[in-house]
Amino acid sequence: MKQLLPLFAFLLLLLAACQSEPKYYGTLWPNPQEVADFTLTGTAGPVSLSDYAGKVVLLYFGYTFCPDVCPGTLADLGYVVRELGRDADKVQVLMITVDPERDTPEQLAEYMSHFHPSFVGLSGTEAEIAAIAAEYGVFYQRHEGTAATGYLVDHTARVFVIDQQGKYWLSFPFGMMREQMKADLQNVLRRG
Amino acid sequence: MRVRKLIYLLWATAVFLAACGGSGKMEVTNAWGRTSPAAAANGAFYMTITNNTGQDDKLLSASAAACATVELHEMYMRENDVMGMRQVPDGYIPLPKGQTVELKVGGLHVMCINKQQEFMIGDTIPLTLQFEKAGTMEVTAEIRDSAEMPANMPGMQHGGG
Ligand SMILES: [Cu+2]
Repeated sequence: MKQLLPLFAFLLLLLAACQSEPKYYGTLWPNPQEVADFTLTGTAGPVSLSDYAGKVVLLYFGYTFCPDVCPGTLADLGYVVRELGRDADKVQVLMITVDPERDTPEQLAEYMSHFHPSFVGLSGTEAEIAAIAAEYGVFYQRHEGTAATGYLVDHTARVFVIDQQGKYWLSFPFGMMREQMKADLQNVLRRG
Repeated sequence: MRVRKLIYLLWATAVFLAACGGSGKMEVTNAWGRTSPAAAANGAFYMTITNNTGQDDKLLSASAAACATVELHEMYMRENDVMGMRQVPDGYIPLPKGQTVELKVGGLHVMCINKQQEFMIGDTIPLTLQFEKAGTMEVTAEIRDSAEMPANMPGMQHGGG
């Protein structure tokens, strides 16, 4: 019986460890940091990140001309938010356009609400957007398309998760399964 | 009784034809498009193309009344999750004989430029595909919110749809 005690203690320790930190499917950022506030333009004037304090903010950089990764990601997020049920209003999806020249706030609003009525699209000056993108390590670059498409924009296809404390430490890579995003968000919400 | 027998016979014939109908033909299955608001200038269609014609072919172009212009595009990934889109080289998609080419999210797509309407879930959008050798083919793309098929729809579980 005495020999079993260390094993028992070890198992208890193991149990405690897995209870404190759930497994996340997304990418964990090694040093969690409080994110800086920013202010951009929505349909009804200025919108700041701090307007959503206390919510989990899912931040994405995209543009309405994008037919594949952007609507794909936003449709996934729409599904996940609906799946959260009563917790849905504790989550806010924001998309910052990487194409402020073509994406007006009105166009962004209509585009975003298609995926979920709560989703918000933000525009601003080139300089304002570049500064925020740099903070998240988001890259975007224009290149010529065809005569029909006009220019296109390469951009980082990742969703940044800002927790209810205003800290960033988790992100969702492109193509992550909906159920995995949902599980991660539930864990983020459980932390408060 | 006789009517019932005839129905069975017809049914068996239909099953037989469906099963062997693939040989010698260009087959397009699971054509779908993403739900997209009117505010989105562009949309994308996806499908699975199997070339059973016995000779190499190309998807040269596509057209749809729902789009001002249609091009064949591919996504590419650069370093650090940066994604971009471009027209496929020389504008066509090669379809080697006996092979299946999948147009899917993050890969190849039929690009609907200057979309003329909102794409709502459940809408069906007619597309005309132009192959180099197999000629033209009419397909119908079903508008969905994701590539994943609804799990609770009977008869839809098979990848071919
Ligand atoms: Cu495209």
